[in-house]
Amino acid sequence: MIKMGKASNIQIWQYLTAILLIFFLGFHLAERIPQITGMSYHQSLDAENAYHSFSSYGWVLWILAAIALFHGLNGLRGIFLEWRQGKTYTLTVNALFWIVFLVLLGVATWTIIALPALG
Amino acid sequence: MSGDNSKKNLPGLLQASLNPWLIKVKDHPERLAFILHRVTGVVIILYLIAHVYVTNTPTRVGWDAWTQVMVQFGNNIWNKIGEWIIAGCVIFHGLNGIRLLLVEFFGIGVGRPVHPKPPYRPVSLYAGQRLMLLIVFGLAIIGWVWAGLIIFG
Repeated sequence: MIKMGKASNIQIWQYLTAILLIFFLGFHLAERIPQITGMSYHQSLDAENAYHSFSSYGWVLWILAAIALFHGLNGLRGIFLEWRQGKTYTLTVNALFWIVFLVLLGVATWTIIALPALG
Repeated sequence: MSGDNSKKNLPGLLQASLNPWLIKVKDHPERLAFILHRVTGVVIILYLIAHVYVTNTPTRVGWDAWTQVMVQFGNNIWNKIGEWIIAGCVIFHGLNGIRLLLVEFFGIGVGRPVHPKPPYRPVSLYAGQRLMLLIVFGLAIIGWVWAGLIIFG
């Protein structure tokens, strides 16, 4: 039997990932606020600070990437599944969701584990 | 449902959820919030895909390339405007998302069901969630202005 995923499950995953995003994305955005970091927005993005973020708490950024990609792509999946219905269409949308999610998470993982040292 | 039936529903669905100009928002700010939540969500996921790719720059081509990209972003007014639009989308989507969690997931601010009486106005439309929605709109505007000061400052 092929499972196509219930609409209610999609929405529950949206709520759960949204709760996690409040904390993880809140932390990520706080890194860019001058009143918190003591440096300007653009200074916070320079190579030294970016390297410090990746090397000190890369795992937090990886979890954030995983949750944000899941939440965003799952939301897009919900919109596409509202648009049209049908077994083939639903399976295609679900398959595309997982493929795009895993490819982008792969890119994010590569960023963290193969990051070169700051020369 | 057959493919033909689902196509038959498409114009109605577009009118009901995707075309902001056809939505009657007077007395129903929740509809405006619904449209904005969707539109900002789509903008954010498109940005996120680009963001994951750009943050891979140091791994792919080295830190010098990263510095070049950041300098280019910092010096180009159109890139800054783009960042500001993304910031606005994230702020609204995040704040409205918290409201949706409270209202839909935790059932806060929707009131309790009552016996229907004329003019049949649902409790949920005048319970606490309406105030929460107005607070979300207000905070989103303040947050967007603040983000503009940070990005352009």
